[in-house]
Amino acid sequence: MTMVLAICVAVTFAVSIYLMLGRELKGVAMGVFLLSHAANLSILAMSGSPMMTHAQQEAEVAAENGSHAHIVDSPLMKDPPILASQYANEQPLATMVDPLPQALILTAIVISFGVMAFLLTLLVVTNRKTQTIEVADLAEEARKA
Amino acid sequence: MNSVWMVMIAVFAPVTLGLATLWLPRKAIELRTAVAVAGPLIAFVMLLMVTSGVKTGLATQHAYADHEHAHQIISEKVDLTTDTLDWMPSLNINFAFLTDGLGLFFGLLVSGIGIGIFLYARGYFGKAAPTSADDLYRFYPTIGLFTTAMLGLVLADYTILTLLFWEMTSISSFLLIGWDRYDKKAVKLAMQAFFTTGLGGMGLFGGILVFGNATGSVVEGGIWRWSQMLEHSEALQAMLLNVTSHPQLLWAFVLMFIGAGTKSAQFPFHYWLPGAMAAPTPVSAFLHSATMVKAGVFMVGRLFPVFAALPLFPQLIIPFGAATMLYGGVVALQQHDLKRIFAFTTVSQLGLLMCMYGLGAIDFTYKDHVFAAIDFDVTQIANHAFYKAPLFITAGAIGHFLSRDITQLNGAFYKHKAICGTMMLAALGLAAVPGTISFQAKELFLYGILHAADVYPVLWVVMVMTIITAVCNVAICVRVCTTLLGLPGGMTEADGEHHGDHHHDHPHEHGLLAHMIWLPGLVIVSFQFLGGIITPLWNMVFGIFEQPATAANYFQYKAEGVPSLLYVAKHLGSIPLWISMFCLVAGTMLGLSKFFRGSIKDFADKIYPAMYWLAVTGGGKCFRLVQTGNLKHYLIFVLGALLLGFGWTVAVDAEMWSTLTGDEAARVFEYWPGILIGLIACLTAVLIPMTDIRIVRIVFLGACGFAVVALYLVYQAPDLALTQLMFEIISVILFVIVLRLLPKEKKGADAGKAWRIPVAVCVGLVFGWMTLTAASHNRGETTNPDAQPLGHTLAQHSYGLKTDDDGNPKLDTAMSGDVGKRGGGGTNVVNVILVDFRGFDTLGEIAVLGLAAMGVWSMLPHRRRKGIKYRKVESDYPKEALDPLESEVTT
Amino acid sequence: MSSSILRTANGIIFPLTLLFALYMALKGHNMPGGGFIGGLIAAVALVLYRMSHGPDAMMRLMPVHPRVIVAMGLGIAALTGVVPLVFGEPMLRSIAPYISLGVGDPVHLPSALFFDVGVLLVVVGVSVGMIVRLGEEVEDE
Repeated sequence: MTMVLAICVAVTFAVSIYLMLGRELKGVAMGVFLLSHAANLSILAMSGSPMMTHAQQEAEVAAENGSHAHIVDSPLMKDPPILASQYANEQPLATMVDPLPQALILTAIVISFGVMAFLLTLLVVTNRKTQTIEVADLAEEARKA
Repeated sequence: MNSVWMVMIAVFAPVTLGLATLWLPRKAIELRTAVAVAGPLIAFVMLLMVTSGVKTGLATQHAYADHEHAHQIISEKVDLTTDTLDWMPSLNINFAFLTDGLGLFFGLLVSGIGIGIFLYARGYFGKAAPTSADDLYRFYPTIGLFTTAMLGLVLADYTILTLLFWEMTSISSFLLIGWDRYDKKAVKLAMQAFFTTGLGGMGLFGGILVFGNATGSVVEGGIWRWSQMLEHSEALQAMLLNVTSHPQLLWAFVLMFIGAGTKSAQFPFHYWLPGAMAAPTPVSAFLHSATMVKAGVFMVGRLFPVFAALPLFPQLIIPFGAATMLYGGVVALQQHDLKRIFAFTTVSQLGLLMCMYGLGAIDFTYKDHVFAAIDFDVTQIANHAFYKAPLFITAGAIGHFLSRDITQLNGAFYKHKAICGTMMLAALGLAAVPGTISFQAKELFLYGILHAADVYPVLWVVMVMTIITAVCNVAICVRVCTTLLGLPGGMTEADGEHHGDHHHDHPHEHGLLAHMIWLPGLVIVSFQFLGGIITPLWNMVFGIFEQPATAANYFQYKAEGVPSLLYVAKHLGSIPLWISMFCLVAGTMLGLSKFFRGSIKDFADKIYPAMYWLAVTGGGKCFRLVQTGNLKHYLIFVLGALLLGFGWTVAVDAEMWSTLTGDEAARVFEYWPGILIGLIACLTAVLIPMTDIRIVRIVFLGACGFAVVALYLVYQAPDLALTQLMFEIISVILFVIVLRLLPKEKKGADAGKAWRIPVAVCVGLVFGWMTLTAASHNRGETTNPDAQPLGHTLAQHSYGLKTDDDGNPKLDTAMSGDVGKRGGGGTNVVNVILVDFRGFDTLGEIAVLGLAAMGVWSMLPHRRRKGIKYRKVESDYPKEALDPLESEVTT
Repeated sequence: MSSSILRTANGIIFPLTLLFALYMALKGHNMPGGGFIGGLIAAVALVLYRMSHGPDAMMRLMPVHPRVIVAMGLGIAALTGVVPLVFGEPMLRSIAPYISLGVGDPVHLPSALFFDVGVLLVVVGVSVGMIVRLGEEVEDE
């Protein structure tokens, strides 16, 4: 799964960079939007694979069936970071995904929302003031100022 | 009273009382003067009390001060530090004071001269002048701050505390020099002084830090107190003598000397001092006689007992000091503005004082020499203050009534006898005429050079330089006196074109306070003559401070104190006496001659403007090369750096990268729904730039976001998925709204495809690979069996870990359990992290969110529209009355 | 954007969504959810209401201007941070007592809940406020 995620990160990053290098600020805004997805995904990848390892699966199945029965064909996913029991000591944490990256991403999502709104408003204001949102024109204005 | 509190009161009295004057009635000038003067007065009295307290200690030192081991005994037998008031103990910044001879002497000098200056300010800013109330209103708090800074600087024991006060003097002197806020030139000169001394302050800071770090072997944690430095002078000197194996100490000294040298206006950084003459005269008199410029001298004096052992000490200080001395003296002779003349003699004298410490260091290493100029550093410093302060005071006074241009003052004595008389008396001190303490001081300095020149014949050059400087000083004195008295040989208007008049037309005042414009000067200069004629009295007073000022007072001659005139007369044949006599004669001849009467410019005045140009204009030009203002260029710089950095990492460990990629690629098919979702995410992302139609682009953007939501679900992150889902909806709405406000897309949004695609692909690959490594490495083998992801630790603490008596986990309902095991009280680990473990972060985050919203609202100011009414506001009141913020934005 | 189907449907959907948002926020400490999610759901509900009933109707629904909501939220969150200081505890220290209501099981009431409510208010205020403001701009043009 990590590989899939890495490819997603690569593609979203590439597209967002392509958009940001574009001629118009609208594309740049979309690029920034996409960039936050890409960054979040790459943080998510750091929580490791959501799949259980072979040994974990065996143990899980054994616990359910009471014996070393068959191993299921489709792999088992780890648990979400919600404690099933209120006593973490009793919980096998190894089969739970790492909650820390998730908390970080949650923060990042909300912040990126604020930043997005701010950026879009800036775009509107820029367009009103300079009558253009073309990157090259704005650079020209900056040189004149 | 505890001595630390006494010193605290002494240090902070000037600023406290200075600020207190702000609450007094503006017009009550006398009252304000009285309150403000109480500041330095209290400081002076307090420091006198402290001195009498430690005097017995000083005497003990004196008794032990035998030939060989004095410097050890001093540090061991007497504790001259006060108690410590904790401020920031973990950073080694506390209030503790070192009340040794040097510190106390400087403290008394600053507060003593301060009393005179505070009174003089009353006379200078005169009651009748239109701006006087305003000026005095600002003046006392500012100069009070400066006095406090200066007192703290000389008395502080903690090195960093000294630095803080040091910077405080820079800042407050900036305010004082740029006193005339509307005079652009004055402000510029104030900036010049501030930048120059500020630069030195950075040097001192660096030096203190390096010193503290380098001395960890001497004292645990390094030396952060001056008293510690003196205490361990033996060990430090041993290190310094073998400095090649402790290069850090060398750097510490060089950096600290940069601080001292710029503050004390050493050539070529002396330019700020004459420039600082833009200040009102009370400030000049204070800053340039006893305080600001002496801070550097003080610092060298502080370092001397230890760093004199460093071979570089004399090698660095003597050339700079001697050059400053000569340059200042020669330029001073060729000035016409009285304040500039005295400013350059100050530069010259500062060079001499530095030189003196350098010469002292030479004697330090050759202990068989029985005499060094350094023994009388306190005398030298006091002597300068006692003639320079009156010179400035009277220069300002005469400028008030007539002019500060010496060519305009021919015969001024007959109009303003008291002022000109005081000035001439002080000028005698400048010339080192027998009868002033200045004479003996110069004799002692000459002795010092003679003895040092025995060791290093090259120092005869310094002797010659000193003679030239002395001749110039005498010539200045002769010219001042002849001019003021209107004698032949004095300066006349013929000697120079008249550059702008400095005359301030202040009406005359009467009464005692009006005399404050010269009286403090007379009082101060009287010390010159008292000391010069009744030398034993001088020795009695200043001898107290001489002894422990440095650890180098093991010279026998010392015990006898400054030689009296009688003593000098008995040794008529000595070389220094002949040199002095020669200087007096030659100086008088030069003063009366026609040579060097013009006024010259100081070439160093161009140094600062040149540096400023280089930094601001030149720097701006370089800056423009990178800061083009074009987003494209910034992105290319950033991405280029990224690609280079990545390429380097890959090149370093290419094998690891390929193995890693191979391993992960083999597991790509382990979960097919994941692949499907990933495909959707990639496809929608790639489709975004394929179209020119903006609404379609947004649809793809949203679709990509939903695919990301699904990825979160695969990764077992329900909170994330939910948040992202809602966020996606709102963002798409936002985008649609904003796009309607923006102009329609032109054709050709994909211009520059040819270079954009390769760049984008490269960056994408870099990030993909970075993700891969980061994700794969955190599950690597560790040697510690207990190691687990931080997130799992947080999960364990997420609810609470209380156990009952049987060892079984139990609800921690009462929250009475032991604090270490207290948890967040929730089972949703992500939420507990957000609101509890990282709660402060979340608080900051929502604040940022609020700020972003405020940015949006302020960038798009609200236009009042009819029809919208909030439920609460539907009342008879006008809306503005209920919502002040709203009306403020509109109007 | 005024369709009677949407309007009618929203008459039922809107209160339910708000209830759901509240539920998510309150259960957030022990189940998926929390202040952020609750806030965003409520914001989406309000935006949907704006679509169906028009901007003015939505603003009438808001008891105060969104920026007041933001300020309230920030205030509540900051207050929950400061209160522990009064008891000599570190800032933002939370407690999670079970409060017995006399009937049924004791209610689990973590103090972090108040913090979460602050977060919710900020998120609602910010999202709605921004969309409202930008939406007004569109209508003005």
